[in-house]
Amino acid sequence: MTEQKQIEKALFEAARDLEDPSARTAFLDQVCNGNVALRSRLEKLLAVQAPAEKFFSVSPVSTVLPEPVSPPLASPSGRPSESVGVPEAAQPVIGPYKLLERLGEGGCGVVYLAEQQKPIRRRVALKIIRLGMDTENVIARFDAERQALALMDHPNIAHALDAGTTDSGRPYFVMELVQGVKITDYCNQNHLSTCQRLDLFIQICHAIQHAHQKGVIHRDIKPSNILVTTHDGQPVPKVIDFGIAKATEGRLTDNTLYTPQAHFIGTPAYMSPEQAQISGLDVDTRSDIYSLGVLLYELLTGQTPFDSKKLIASGLDELRRTLLEREPQLPSTLLTSLGNTELTSVAARYHAEPPLLISSLRGDLDCIVMKALEKDRRRRYETANGLAMDVQRHLNNEPVIARQPSNIYRFQKLVRRNKVTFVAVAAVALALFAGLGLSTWLFLQEREARQRAVDAEQQQIHLREEADRLRHDAENRQKLTQATVLLSRDKMEEADQLVADIPAPEPNLEYADLFRQLGDWHGTHARWKPAADRLAILVRINQPDDWDITTLDDLRYGPLLIELGDLKGYEQFRKSVIAHYQNTTNPLPAERVIKLSLLAPADSQVLTALQPLAEIASNSLAIGTNVDPSLAAWRSFSLALFAYRCGDYAGAKHWYTRSIALSVGNPSRAVNLQILQAMMYNRLGKKEIAAAELASARNTISTQFNHGLEVGAGGEGFWFDWVFARTLLDEAITDMHRD
Amino acid sequence: MSDVTLLLEAIVRGENQASEELLPLVYDELRHLAAARMAGEAAGQTLQPTALVHEAWIRLVKENDRTWRNRTHFFRAAALAMRRILVDRARHKLSLKGGSGLAKVSIDDVDIAATTMDDRILAVDQSLEQLEKEDPESARIITLKFFGGLTNKEVAKLLGITERSVERQWAYAKVSLFEKMQEET
Repeated sequence: MTEQKQIEKALFEAARDLEDPSARTAFLDQVCNGNVALRSRLEKLLAVQAPAEKFFSVSPVSTVLPEPVSPPLASPSGRPSESVGVPEAAQPVIGPYKLLERLGEGGCGVVYLAEQQKPIRRRVALKIIRLGMDTENVIARFDAERQALALMDHPNIAHALDAGTTDSGRPYFVMELVQGVKITDYCNQNHLSTCQRLDLFIQICHAIQHAHQKGVIHRDIKPSNILVTTHDGQPVPKVIDFGIAKATEGRLTDNTLYTPQAHFIGTPAYMSPEQAQISGLDVDTRSDIYSLGVLLYELLTGQTPFDSKKLIASGLDELRRTLLEREPQLPSTLLTSLGNTELTSVAARYHAEPPLLISSLRGDLDCIVMKALEKDRRRRYETANGLAMDVQRHLNNEPVIARQPSNIYRFQKLVRRNKVTFVAVAAVALALFAGLGLSTWLFLQEREARQRAVDAEQQQIHLREEADRLRHDAENRQKLTQATVLLSRDKMEEADQLVADIPAPEPNLEYADLFRQLGDWHGTHARWKPAADRLAILVRINQPDDWDITTLDDLRYGPLLIELGDLKGYEQFRKSVIAHYQNTTNPLPAERVIKLSLLAPADSQVLTALQPLAEIASNSLAIGTNVDPSLAAWRSFSLALFAYRCGDYAGAKHWYTRSIALSVGNPSRAVNLQILQAMMYNRLGKKEIAAAELASARNTISTQFNHGLEVGAGGEGFWFDWVFARTLLDEAITDMHRD
Repeated sequence: MSDVTLLLEAIVRGENQASEELLPLVYDELRHLAAARMAGEAAGQTLQPTALVHEAWIRLVKENDRTWRNRTHFFRAAALAMRRILVDRARHKLSLKGGSGLAKVSIDDVDIAATTMDDRILAVDQSLEQLEKEDPESARIITLKFFGGLTNKEVAKLLGITERSVERQWAYAKVSLFEKMQEET
């Protein structure tokens, strides 16, 4: 065998093991460095994996089989040959079901309206695998569907009732009969408004979420698979035909492993980029999120992001390229680009004026749709629930996640950790190249060639280990997704257990929210260590920004380090936060950074670094400016604390007097102010007043802690404001006794 | 002692001639077995190449001669024979249908399921000839797996490599051959 072939084989195997498309691309970039021929050869090989697998999935058994004289439809053991056969419809009765009429055709089966005779009489939908397609693959897929469907129980999912085998050996499936209208038709015929459509869409998301929790990916979400029925005058969408559902977790049957060869199963317009890409292997729940995004796009504009007919007509390569590379138009842009007449007729279907329709999409809905349609699935919503929640937030006029600063993601594409992986993989691959190059002549002798194969195999073990690591990452991601779901159902403990031991994931808003909630949960239960552990991950994956939330998270975390006695950790943390915000011009982060950095006495270096931030905070409170009183009160407290740490007692007095004047019923701030005031009295020699104030503050704080902490909100104070107060109190008391 | 055993022993002794003489014998036996099945005596029974090959092995080689080395040579020959049988049969069937006997197979991703097994056999056979020159390792694994119907375990024992290696070679061989078939159509 030639040396080149040997290299090609080794690289093919290594690349094949990398499931993540971007990891694979990066790997190919590295190892093929400039070698265009090798690169295109490898890509070709990787691309034909699924069809090749399909091609070779059946061994030439059937040709050795005796040719049946007549179609053995009725024979108990025979299977009809591929070309001959009477349609299943010629047998009007299958088991206890009488076939009444043909309803339609799905990806791999024909659906009949049937009547169940025993034990009860009812009408059902019966799906039989299409003639000529009963390869082992389809049967395995069906087996998977059977068990998966039985696990699902949701009002918006069509129930699975029964499964069996026809006399001729084909499996069939009995489902709840849904007599409804395709969702897009329903919306247009009834002139549903955008809001009404969104309500339906949220219900669909919940159904898909349910399926995902049961380990089922739909993989073919499209309007014709979502039927709307009316129940007590209310429209109820039902998701049908989990026909190519595949278990994401566990193995329903051993054969499930071989089912993802669904290369072009799916409908191009609704197909996610990764479904169009290489093999079905790499499809996960986020493909459904993409398809939901397409559905939402169509519900909002009446069109899919890419035209289905054009996609099909353009051929496979172009189709792939479009799905993988082309950015769809924003929904609002699409409507704007329509001609006047067309726009008016579209708007009529929404019962809306054209300009209003367009402006209702611009902003939130544009962002939500585009986030669901991200090419890189890591940037999509993590869960169907997350998508539903964002739509709900839009309906409630709350800020949506999809619109939060996009630069949070800027550096996310390849996290540093992954880069290390790539470099390692590439290094091994290059070593392989070099080794092979040096010993070309060895290949002339078969024995040496074999030795090289052994070496190559060892190299591959390393490559495979790297691939294992990437797989491990995928497992962690799965845990995070599950935890997010558990959290939304208030199952804190289970969610917490899932993520207790995993390393910090890639930055992502939903993950951040997960760790924030878990930190709050532990914090309000005074479990400081786990609270600090979760929050440590939170502040790591928060992409710091001039953004109000991340500094609040820093405030959650910082005080806990002192609480846990980790003064070194606190020192490091405050320095990194100060360094990060040193150039901010926004008074909100400025004030918070001051506060969290000065919970412990600070040296002149820290104080000097904080000086510009104090100026920004102070300027924002200058006369004539209009700041929310509650914010202004906290800001004044921060400035008082800053002045106190600088030894500027007059300044401190000025600011806390101002803060007290502004205070509007926030007990945690009041007690923080009280302690600061006592610390001042102590420094100024008024020990008695100081002692009295501290005793009172101690009382308030211990009552609060005995009563239990609540997560809280900006107005009445957060749990960590109380932790802050207690730490400050400890310092004040120590000070008193020292002097 | 049967002819086959004599030949196998000759192969083990290193007489190259014997290897070539073994093939027709195995081929005849396999064809005979397959024909018996097709005569309809066991209609509907699934008859796999691997079963055929094993049965031929038992019939042709006397029990006390079934040593490992003999077995290896025999099965390699059997896989080659199976290939011939399957290809001949596919050509024959196509010519009955009025076809030219040339392999035409739709490799379009969309509908592999639509191509008949005969088309596939001929397409594989054609591209395999080319592959044998470029990458004998892959060609060998395809012969054993696709035409011989042998399991990974059997192939591993036969070639003296691990099952994992077989798996890997098979994975590469499949895409490599498939790619070749696509080029040719």
